[in-house]
Amino acid sequence: MREHVTLRKVALVAALVIGALLMMFPFVWTVITSITPDGTLAAGPTLLVDNPTLDAYRQLFERLPMLRIAANSLGVATATTVLQLLTSSMAAYAFSRLPFPGRQALFAVYLATLMVPLQVLVVPLFIQMTRLQLNDTYFALLAPSIASAFGVFLLKQAVDGVPRELDEAATIDGASHLRIFGQIVIPLARPALATLAVFAFMSSWNSFLWPLVVVRSPELMTLPLGLSALHGQYTSDWNVIMAGSVTSIIPIALIYAFAQRHIIAGFAHSGLK
Amino acid sequence: MSRTIRATMRGAAPVLAGLAAIGMLAACSQGSATNSDPDPTTADGESGAPVTITYMNFSANGGNEENLQAIADAFTAENPDVTVEIETVAYDDYFTSLQTALAGGTASDTFELNYENFVTYAASGALAELSDVPADVYTPSLLDAFTRDGVQYGLPESFSDVVLFYNKTLFDEAGLDYPTADWTWADEQAAAEALTGGGVWGDYQPVSFHEFYKTLAQAGGQFFTEDGSAVAFDSPEGVAAATWLIDKSGTTMPTEADGAGTPDFDTNLFKEGKLAMWHSGIWMFGALADVEGLEWDIVVEPGDAQSASAMFTNGVVVNAASDQPEASQAWLEYLTSSQTMVDLRISSGWELPPVADEAALSAYLEQTPPQNRQAVFDALESTVLPPVIERQQEMQDILTEELGNAAADRKSVEDALADAAERINALL
Amino acid sequence: MTTALTNRDVDHSPGRSPSTPPARRRPRTRRRTLAWAAFFLAPSLVPLTAFTLIPMISSAWVSLHEWNLISPMSWVGIDNYVNLLGDQRTRAAFSHTLAYIVGYLPLTYIGGLLIALALNAAIPARSLLRSAYFLPVVTSWVVVALVWQWLLNPNSGLVNTVLGALGLPEPGWWTDPTWAMPSIILASAWKDLGFIMVILLAGLQAIPGELYEAARVDGASAWHRFWRLTLPLLSPSTFFVVVISLINGFQVFDQVYVMTAGGPGGATQVVVGEIYDLTFRYGRAGEASALSWLLFAVVLLVTLLQMRGQKRWVTHA
Repeated sequence: MREHVTLRKVALVAALVIGALLMMFPFVWTVITSITPDGTLAAGPTLLVDNPTLDAYRQLFERLPMLRIAANSLGVATATTVLQLLTSSMAAYAFSRLPFPGRQALFAVYLATLMVPLQVLVVPLFIQMTRLQLNDTYFALLAPSIASAFGVFLLKQAVDGVPRELDEAATIDGASHLRIFGQIVIPLARPALATLAVFAFMSSWNSFLWPLVVVRSPELMTLPLGLSALHGQYTSDWNVIMAGSVTSIIPIALIYAFAQRHIIAGFAHSGLK
Repeated sequence: MSRTIRATMRGAAPVLAGLAAIGMLAACSQGSATNSDPDPTTADGESGAPVTITYMNFSANGGNEENLQAIADAFTAENPDVTVEIETVAYDDYFTSLQTALAGGTASDTFELNYENFVTYAASGALAELSDVPADVYTPSLLDAFTRDGVQYGLPESFSDVVLFYNKTLFDEAGLDYPTADWTWADEQAAAEALTGGGVWGDYQPVSFHEFYKTLAQAGGQFFTEDGSAVAFDSPEGVAAATWLIDKSGTTMPTEADGAGTPDFDTNLFKEGKLAMWHSGIWMFGALADVEGLEWDIVVEPGDAQSASAMFTNGVVVNAASDQPEASQAWLEYLTSSQTMVDLRISSGWELPPVADEAALSAYLEQTPPQNRQAVFDALESTVLPPVIERQQEMQDILTEELGNAAADRKSVEDALADAAERINALL
Repeated sequence: MTTALTNRDVDHSPGRSPSTPPARRRPRTRRRTLAWAAFFLAPSLVPLTAFTLIPMISSAWVSLHEWNLISPMSWVGIDNYVNLLGDQRTRAAFSHTLAYIVGYLPLTYIGGLLIALALNAAIPARSLLRSAYFLPVVTSWVVVALVWQWLLNPNSGLVNTVLGALGLPEPGWWTDPTWAMPSIILASAWKDLGFIMVILLAGLQAIPGELYEAARVDGASAWHRFWRLTLPLLSPSTFFVVVISLINGFQVFDQVYVMTAGGPGGATQVVVGEIYDLTFRYGRAGEASALSWLLFAVVLLVTLLQMRGQKRWVTHA
């Protein structure tokens, strides 16, 4: 019996590792192309690189003000994440716990904001930003993602899962909504908050179309804009593009690796077991 | 309708109505375009007060940013009152960015347009009329390309053309003579067949709008009827041109399934010495010059009924909403005709300057490779510009799509051209 | 415990479903609840209104005009809608989008669930494996498209090499109108598995372990525990994943743009691809806005149907 279980576990892990290799393959290819000297895309990926070089990374830093760009991206993505966690968790609490009239309709309006594609919103949004004289500012970069219906929905599902007995008990003890929100609901929704943090950071970090139209000054350039500028009209130095790609993937991968501890730890702290 | 949905709709209606009112206000008051640098003291543009004008472009992206900045600096050195602020955007994103800026009224004072898109913008009233242009400085046909209804709306900024690149080593190994300027399609075909095999492809020419209008001209056909009211390419010449492009695919030329169409596929093939002949633009000189061990040269593209080479040109225009029209035009004239610009473009191998004075270009001819650089100018003797309509991009997409259908055997060449003709006529 | 959107909290008119405590219906309390709701909602509602809802309304206004973004708009009324509804391209775009969803949704959900279950078990190097499966989510579509074009190359790609060795037919994948959409679905599912996995993993983490202990004591088999315990308790996460995947699926664009650009022969032109082309390439922003409102109507309907249907299958711990 015990051997049987172990054998199954070994098979499971083996399958997972093979799957993981398949998942990592494009990233590995990206890394390999970025250290290949000639700067072209090979006919297909190879695992062996003749004369590997970090020249593409040097070129990347020469052609783009990478430190400034990375700092911009990091700043905007961090601010977006913090704001989204705050605005989404508050809204999620309201939708889950406060029986105000028109609640369901308002929630539908929130969801509706996800249903018109950005491609068609970009121009009206840009015109509005122009009127508010906010174009070409850091604020304009993050304004459309201060609040996220995706985040509200994700956290609402999580807050719905927090037992109401807990806040009812707290209410009897005289706790206000603010206390229940901050001391009961938020700690218990940590896995979902960590998940949202990853997604909020990621979508800001990779955001392209909106920054493209709203940013004019080179000083405000974010990573995806920088990487796009590496594509020439007729030819592209793929090793440099791939070096840029690797540079932009690593921070989010690290953030995920960090956040998943919280995703796992979430329920262990809940005191519900 | 279910109860829940009804309840939701009822609840949402007032909210949406309120928002609609705000939105209408926002949309209606879409104001006139203003300059992004509305310093009232510089409104005049005459001497005295310092002026800043903005210039948005795509062609400096990917290597020529410093050259463009150098031209701007030289202009400011000669005109200390005027500073040029440059914004460079990658070609693929350029028009998204430009159109949004125009819609929001924040587009730069001056910007770049390629010839194909010029008409769309000129027809839309987005461009300022230029007056007193020093016409004799420019190659007349290029200057003429940026007029509409007799009005000069832009200045030519650069041009380039398409030639036949060939790999000398592969021709030597096959014991074939190098291509010459008097080759025809038949000669190219014969050589391509002899050169294909053993991991080498004989020829590469994309099946696309840009190749089609040119081969159509080579076949002696017309894209539009004389009065321009309908297309004329669904003709025997059109069929010949499309067949010439399509029949290469899979025989002497790699197909999509071989990887054609993926980024830089043809460039890499030629660089790796696996492609004998390649229809491409002179903008590739720089990328090929660095390749070690690659022996290559160019020749004017083979014609059929007649010779015809594709020429591309970029122009620069003044935003109709600019409050600095004089300073803007002065900058554009400098950008397109100054000696500083000519020297920089030639020394850096950027696209060629549009100036009439051929002596100014002599330095260009002295550079190698390619040996036969003269072919770049020989090709200009019989050029064909892209056919242009207001709904340009749609026309290009339709033609490329229908040619693709024929190339993949989903349609006969005749049917594909007939369908393309019908769809494009609907755009005119 | 309440489900996400039951009727319980919707209706507060007197004399109907008295499921909220009577005390809450006193006017003072109601006013206070409203004040609290305003407090909790304002931080999201204000920016959402300013930066999404108002542009949405503006785009509805644009949809009644002809506009190329460059010259001033001109009023055309509902012509854009009429033209779109009669246009075969619109129908094709919707049917391609639907085909994408039908293939993509089950593939990512089942795949993501299997991976989440496996990576929820106590296995070695779990964190590392989770990060590996998340890596495609953060990799840019430009790179992913290049890789899949290579993998699915009809002549020399790895997939067809394997299929050929097994004596199976070798499709033309992205070069063939029939197989182009399946190619996009495969690449998308592969890329988004990690996204689904992360959400379902968070859902699995939220299931109290003692429930499993109890089931095990009762002698329930692993299979039984999965169907009777895991799947029902995961249903809020599943609901979220399905709703969001559908909303996103209807707006599929990036991967199509970089893998096939709507080709070959228009076989993969999806709704948002059409919207993008109309706005930024063809100078027909009015029609693009109208099309996006048609899309909105479809997505809203589908989402509301799900909201309504959820109480039949979504449960909470």
